Amino acid sequence: MPSLYIHVPFCVKKCDYCAFYSHSLLHSPKDLTSVYLDGLEVEMAKRGKDAPLGVSSLFIGGGTPTALNNRDLDRFMTMLHRHFQLNPGVERTMEGNPGTITSSKLEILRRYGINRFSLGVQSFEDRLLSAVGRLHSAKEAREAIGRLRTAGFENINLDLMFGLPGQDMANWQATIEEALSYSPEHLSLYGLMLEEGTPLYERYKEGSDEKINGIETVLPNDDLQAEMHDWAVERLKQVGYRNYETSNFARPGFECQHNLGYWRGQDYLGLGPGGVSCLNRVRWKNIEEVHAYQSRLRDGQDPVEEAGEEVLSLHECMAERMILGLRLEEGVNIISFKDDFGADLRNIYRKVLESYRDKEVFMVQGDYLRLNPKFSFVANGILQEFV
Amino acid sequence: MAQASQHIRNFSIIAHIDHGKSTLADRLIEYTGALSKREMEAQVLDSMDLERERGITIKLQAVQLSYKAKDGEVYELNLIDTPGHVDFTYEVSRSLAACEGALLVVDAVQGIEAQTLANVYLALENDLELISVINKIDLPSAEPERVKEEIEEVIGLDASEAILASAKTGIGIEEILERVVTTVPAPQGDDEAPLKALIFDSKFDAYKGAISYVRIVEGRVAKGTTMKMMATGKVFEVTEVGVFAPAMRIVEELKAGQVGFIAASIKNVKDTQVGDTITDAENSADKPLPGYRKATPMVFCGLYPVDSSDYNRMRDSLEKLHLNDASLVFEPETSVALGFGFRCGFLGLLHMEIIQERLEREYDLNLITTAPSVIYKVHTLKGEVISIDNPSNLPPIESIVSIEEPVVKATILVPAEYVGTIMELNQEKRGTYFTMDYVSKSRVKLIYELPLSEIVFDYFDQLKSRTKGYASLDYELSGYKETDLVKIDVLLNGEMVDALSFIIHRAKSYHRGRKLVEKLRGIIPRQMFEIPIQSVIGNKVIARETVSAMRKDVLSKCYGGDISRKRKLLEKQKVGKKRMKQVGNVAIPQDAFMAVLKIDD
Repeated sequence: MPSLYIHVPFCVKKCDYCAFYSHSLLHSPKDLTSVYLDGLEVEMAKRGKDAPLGVSSLFIGGGTPTALNNRDLDRFMTMLHRHFQLNPGVERTMEGNPGTITSSKLEILRRYGINRFSLGVQSFEDRLLSAVGRLHSAKEAREAIGRLRTAGFENINLDLMFGLPGQDMANWQATIEEALSYSPEHLSLYGLMLEEGTPLYERYKEGSDEKINGIETVLPNDDLQAEMHDWAVERLKQVGYRNYETSNFARPGFECQHNLGYWRGQDYLGLGPGGVSCLNRVRWKNIEEVHAYQSRLRDGQDPVEEAGEEVLSLHECMAERMILGLRLEEGVNIISFKDDFGADLRNIYRKVLESYRDKEVFMVQGDYLRLNPKFSFVANGILQEFV
Repeated sequence: MAQASQHIRNFSIIAHIDHGKSTLADRLIEYTGALSKREMEAQVLDSMDLERERGITIKLQAVQLSYKAKDGEVYELNLIDTPGHVDFTYEVSRSLAACEGALLVVDAVQGIEAQTLANVYLALENDLELISVINKIDLPSAEPERVKEEIEEVIGLDASEAILASAKTGIGIEEILERVVTTVPAPQGDDEAPLKALIFDSKFDAYKGAISYVRIVEGRVAKGTTMKMMATGKVFEVTEVGVFAPAMRIVEELKAGQVGFIAASIKNVKDTQVGDTITDAENSADKPLPGYRKATPMVFCGLYPVDSSDYNRMRDSLEKLHLNDASLVFEPETSVALGFGFRCGFLGLLHMEIIQERLEREYDLNLITTAPSVIYKVHTLKGEVISIDNPSNLPPIESIVSIEEPVVKATILVPAEYVGTIMELNQEKRGTYFTMDYVSKSRVKLIYELPLSEIVFDYFDQLKSRTKGYASLDYELSGYKETDLVKIDVLLNGEMVDALSFIIHRAKSYHRGRKLVEKLRGIIPRQMFEIPIQSVIGNKVIARETVSAMRKDVLSKCYGGDISRKRKLLEKQKVGKKRMKQVGNVAIPQDAFMAVLKIDD
């Protein structure tokens, strides 16, 4: 049973670090969301048959799904329920940003069974938020959390970022402490990445001593970022969160089932412009541009990007299983690896595993091969060995 | 037929890099109609891409021009091109020896440079008639009068008749050709005497074998002649003779005075050594032409394939380059750190860079180059003298009585205001002052003895940067001198990396050892584990730095839409890491092995 992801490619305004496909609603024609929903409706009708028994989880991400207005949201949810079977108890997450979350929108979501909400807080300090071009304030984030709880959400994730321009250890600690005061069930902590093509990348590619509006906005270096991460790992453990994946923390039982699906190598459907699907070792990506996406679907064609389909080789599939699975605290399941690929990963990767033996980089526990957590923040050099 | 040689003129062009030699040569070819404008595009004397990019001639060439002079007669003009770099001084001297005259081309803005001067001396040694040409007079900043003065004062030539030219715009080209006809002597030489042909270059052709580029000094040669190389004694049967028109054109025979080529199905360019004399085996000349010298490499370095599976391909590539370049020497070498590779010998640093670049570009090899070394003569307790071209082969200190290093006689031409700067530089570089002369009111010629190892290190860069590019340098090997030298080894993570060892004067050893580990700390990327870097003399650690362990190297976000991209990112990083050399647990970037050259003293 695949999981289902639906991409909503709209934001009020894109953040300066974001490389995802998204339209700024401030600069788009009014009917663009209708064009999107028209296309999506066709795609849902086509793809529903790929999940005859329903989906294992639902994640509506973006962009900013909560940037849609009430009418659009209602239409979105109605379409979804018409074409996909959402079994009881299945995790259904929607993402959203403070400033776009009203009680009436939350009421719609609850009505349609959204049971988990992931909120893009990033920081509780306005200065840091504006340094990366986020539109909302810390106050709006606090209000949004309040509304989510009031609306009845009992499984909330807060996204927080470290490594923001001008951020220091004290800022970061304050943000974590405030986040903890709201007792979220789940936290995602992401290091800021400078992705090519983003305004932030352009701003910092020449160096990191930029002043914006007279404020020092030095980018924390890798060492400071590592310290921020390490501090948070310790702190969150103390108060009962499990660091179950490189960047993710949850109270026991609140791990994100949808994302676990990716890391464990399960199939997934990704709908909407730019959505990525992976079924039976074939991965494809939809066209990003909304009009092209919609017109293809209207004309009865697949909305797949040119050269957007990739047939994964056995080697690539195994490599992905390793690089994704080793992100997890539990590690890679040796039994499912054997079931899926017909071989014992301890044989296939014997050389790699042995070359790191003295440094105790890998550990076998029960049916799992795990990465020593000491190395999870410097894992790329190790993960390279599997690709 | 003495008549024929009366219409031959053999000449070359002497010029500093950038003073317009190649453009002038092109213009002469074009003017005499040896090639059409369209053909010129593809065919210029500098035929290698590298030469065109660097604006220098590496491999010399020759061309025959047919020129109808104002006296109504048609002349055969042979232009022999010369390489414009100190590494190739010997090759230049042999080209000049094949001529009766030379164009001395001086840039109307920059004036005479050390390299020009050195080649002028070579020309005068060979009794060449010099024709002064002041080039680039079309430039607004041209100062032909000042340059004339310099020519008179520095070289002692009468510059009143110097030709003002612009190879770029074509000014003065006809005048140059006329002057070649009227002032360069026709070649002397008896074409009935036993054959004496001077080899001034050679080239390997896949069909014809090694081809000798020759000037026939005496006698004649034709297909079927049994020829003998006088230096090596080897005998071959001539299969073809011809001229450069500029493409090779077969002729019946070559006679005294002419310039052309001889092919004799020779398998190896080693048998066609520049400077050697070809004679007729059945009617041998009694003695060879003077000036022959075996090409001797002065600078050595280790060349290793980054990917050890490229070793055989690398050997094939070196062999192919060697086919055309007998002065490149190489032999297999093994390094603990770098695996299997080759120790290669070069005429100089430029020659070394050229070979490296050609291996990488033309043969698509990914190479690691170790810092260049000179040949040291080591006197051991046993009374032996060992030549060491690789620092890691230096015997243990206890068994060494003394070490000698090669020294050169360096000639530096520099504007007078930089004399102090040069003296300071030469002092730092352990130079010994010989003489200083004012060659004109504003320019000075300094002669120093300098250790070759200092020149190999960074002398030329320093010279250029400290004089804003105004100083020029020429040098020749002058001998060996006993010096207090030590070997510095480098340990990474406690393991000695033999390819990083170098030999240095004791007085500079601590400083250089410290600077090197600092430099390496900057070059070696942080890795999963901490890496100590130490430089040691014998067992004694003289400097230490640490590359701290990497703290962050992670894909922070990785969900359904990112997976392919992230996997490809890891693949790319893996390729990047493969370009580094793995020594024990440490990945070392290629340029680390040249780091010792990039230290500012």
